[in-house]
Amino acid sequence: MTNKRSNPPSLALWLLRHASTGARNEALTGDLIERFREGQSRRWFWGQVLFASALGALEAIRRGWYFFAYAIAGTVAQYLLYSNDLARGLVLPGWSSLPWPLSQFGLELGIPIIATSMSLLMLSVGLLIERSFRWWYLLRTFIFSLVLITAGQYSIEFSPWLLRPVQGDQYHKALIALLALLASAYLVAAWLGCAPTKHSHNRERRTTVPQ
Amino acid sequence: MKRSYLGEMELMVLLVVQRLGVKAYGVPISKELLLLAEREVSLGSIYAALERLEIKGFVSSSLGDPTPERGGRAKRYFRVTSNGVRALEMTRAALTRLWNDVPLLQ
Repeated sequence: MTNKRSNPPSLALWLLRHASTGARNEALTGDLIERFREGQSRRWFWGQVLFASALGALEAIRRGWYFFAYAIAGTVAQYLLYSNDLARGLVLPGWSSLPWPLSQFGLELGIPIIATSMSLLMLSVGLLIERSFRWWYLLRTFIFSLVLITAGQYSIEFSPWLLRPVQGDQYHKALIALLALLASAYLVAAWLGCAPTKHSHNRERRTTVPQ
Repeated sequence: MKRSYLGEMELMVLLVVQRLGVKAYGVPISKELLLLAEREVSLGSIYAALERLEIKGFVSSSLGDPTPERGGRAKRYFRVTSNGVRALEMTRAALTRLWNDVPLLQ
């Protein structure tokens, strides 16, 4: 018979499904449901799920250390290329003498392309160390990075209210927002770009609990 | 070959898996830990320890059939490998030597 008491909180199940790793997910979820139906409280269930999710998040950070390395390298490279004339002159010689709109194109797309290409070296090293190097991971990450960075830049340009929650004067606001945006864009791009194409744990993506 | 050592949680979990034999999966492991070691360990921590043990080659796992009382989820059964048994024996020998050298506790 179906009743509320025999069903664990669906939000907790959703969280568990998204926060813990595929291999562990099915067995852990089953164990928690089994204990819950043996009489454990909803509070106990939530506590277990939150703890398992925190462990899963820490593990994801540990496993994806090279994503963070890529994000930091990309952000630093791009910031230096934007802010430092010397660095920009070295990688984009003669950029400032180009006629418009080529000069604009060089600044808005050339710098992200160069910064992304440079930081892909960092990602490649990480993937090689973790023995999961694939050429198409790099290609996908490159494409995702450019799309996300461009979308982020234009979203700030066309929606200045996005800077409102950031403290400080206009220059610092823009700088903080730019760095946060770049770091997030690189991180998300690496995460999306290096995701395996075949999901072996599709079977685990069940949301209903049979009675 | 690089030798792997057992942490405290790994040692306890490995011992419990060996004690439970073919019935070793998350729920009975957590109950045994509460009963014998008087430690309430979250299932997430148990699985984290089991995965570390599996990476070290001390346990192997296999999936059972999904059951309705578990919301259609399969049990993941663990068993101690021969490397795991060897690690347990070596840890026990090391701990025994250390205990013997503690004068107040002899």
